[in-house]
Amino acid sequence: MSITDLTSMGEPQTELRKEINDRLCKLQDEISDYCYQCGKCTSGCEAHKLLELEPHKIVALLKRGLIDEMVNSDVIWTCMSCFKCRERCPQKIAPVEILFALKNMAVASGKQIPGNYTALLQSVLSIGLLQDIKSVTTRDNKTLNRSDIGLPDISKPTDPTKFQMMISKIAIEKV
Amino acid sequence: MKKYGLYPGCVMPTEQYALEKSIREVLPYLDIEIVDLKGFSCCGEPLKSVNQMMTLTLSARNLAIAEKEGLDLLVPCPMCHLALSDCKRILDTDPAMNQKINKFLEDEGLKYTGKSSIYHTVEMLHNIVGIEKIKEKVKKPLIELKVATHYGCHLFRPSEVGRPVDSENPQEIENILKAIGANPIDYPEKLECCGGLLNANLPESALTKTGQKLQKVQEQGFDVFIDVCPWCHRQYDSKQKKAGETVAAKLEMPVLYLTQLLGLSFGISEEKIGLNLNLSPVDKLKLGGK
Repeated sequence: MSITDLTSMGEPQTELRKEINDRLCKLQDEISDYCYQCGKCTSGCEAHKLLELEPHKIVALLKRGLIDEMVNSDVIWTCMSCFKCRERCPQKIAPVEILFALKNMAVASGKQIPGNYTALLQSVLSIGLLQDIKSVTTRDNKTLNRSDIGLPDISKPTDPTKFQMMISKIAIEKV
Repeated sequence: MKKYGLYPGCVMPTEQYALEKSIREVLPYLDIEIVDLKGFSCCGEPLKSVNQMMTLTLSARNLAIAEKEGLDLLVPCPMCHLALSDCKRILDTDPAMNQKINKFLEDEGLKYTGKSSIYHTVEMLHNIVGIEKIKEKVKKPLIELKVATHYGCHLFRPSEVGRPVDSENPQEIENILKAIGANPIDYPEKLECCGGLLNANLPESALTKTGQKLQKVQEQGFDVFIDVCPWCHRQYDSKQKKAGETVAAKLEMPVLYLTQLLGLSFGISEEKIGLNLNLSPVDKLKLGGK
């Protein structure tokens, strides 16, 4: 199972896309009566100040069903997942969760995954962790690894094959 | 001594060794026994943007490993803590999802039942060890040390999932710091994000967020910046120089993990709490803990 299979538009992805679509429809139903565009989410948004993400517009666009437009836009990838919008919404709407669903949809539709996400996914797939053990440099420029520092062996999946099988199923089976 | 399984996550055990080192020193000193378990994987939260179902399954898998050993978990990374807590909340209230996720776990002979509790280092120190016990253990009180704290977004939001500290006015780390004689002071930017999660696709913007907050902290004359999250610490300590360059500021702010500062006040040696691994100018502190 390779990264291409996990993210491609191949046949098995149909079910996954359907599931994410259902999730988006549910979010759409939940918010349609409640969001009154007060903009509290955007006023506190960490990514708004820097990258012009406007969570209240994301909610408005979803309300109008403009899902494809957002899935194709880079702006959904500027969210820092700080959860401030979900915390502070007076109507208990969670723009951050809408953004997660939209990004999942973009990936399941075979869109290019931006930046380093592919490497992170590949690493979890092969060793179970986001990255392998790194050597670090001390303040006085010595290079040390985990065992030099006196730390025990790292905990990671004991049977990588079984682990990989499980992860692959999530991406291709009916979820 | 009460035993807890350590769930290390990914960032701490692969590069943020100072956090792991100081936790392994300081918690046993406060009568918390740490047990290492085999087989853990990523919590899945950093991949929530890619596939939410994967996040849920990975978290459930890790909880199932702890359940098998009959242990509660100590989770030092706020992001892992959020992922595991959210997973527990969903699987304990949604039987259909519980069944679906457990189906994935069958291959590895695991089963999630919801028996293990999840504790972050801050709630472990504040609520389980307790402020009085910390006070008793102090050998070198850090008198008048002016401290800025940084909790990390995932430790206090979203409160709907059940977070260890208050979402708008957390004071737990402050209480712990007061117990060791330090002087924590609230500042306007206290709850701001480090930007660390943007590293995957917008690393420059991540550094800008980091630099902006640290610059504000420096301007307000703090002696030291204390964090608890390996992602945030990677930004504020490991990448401080780069962050400074990104916002065109000369940043010289000592950044320590909470457990490192506790260790120093308990008289534990600098080497044992991994102080040589901090890349920010911690020598400026002159705590005399050698």
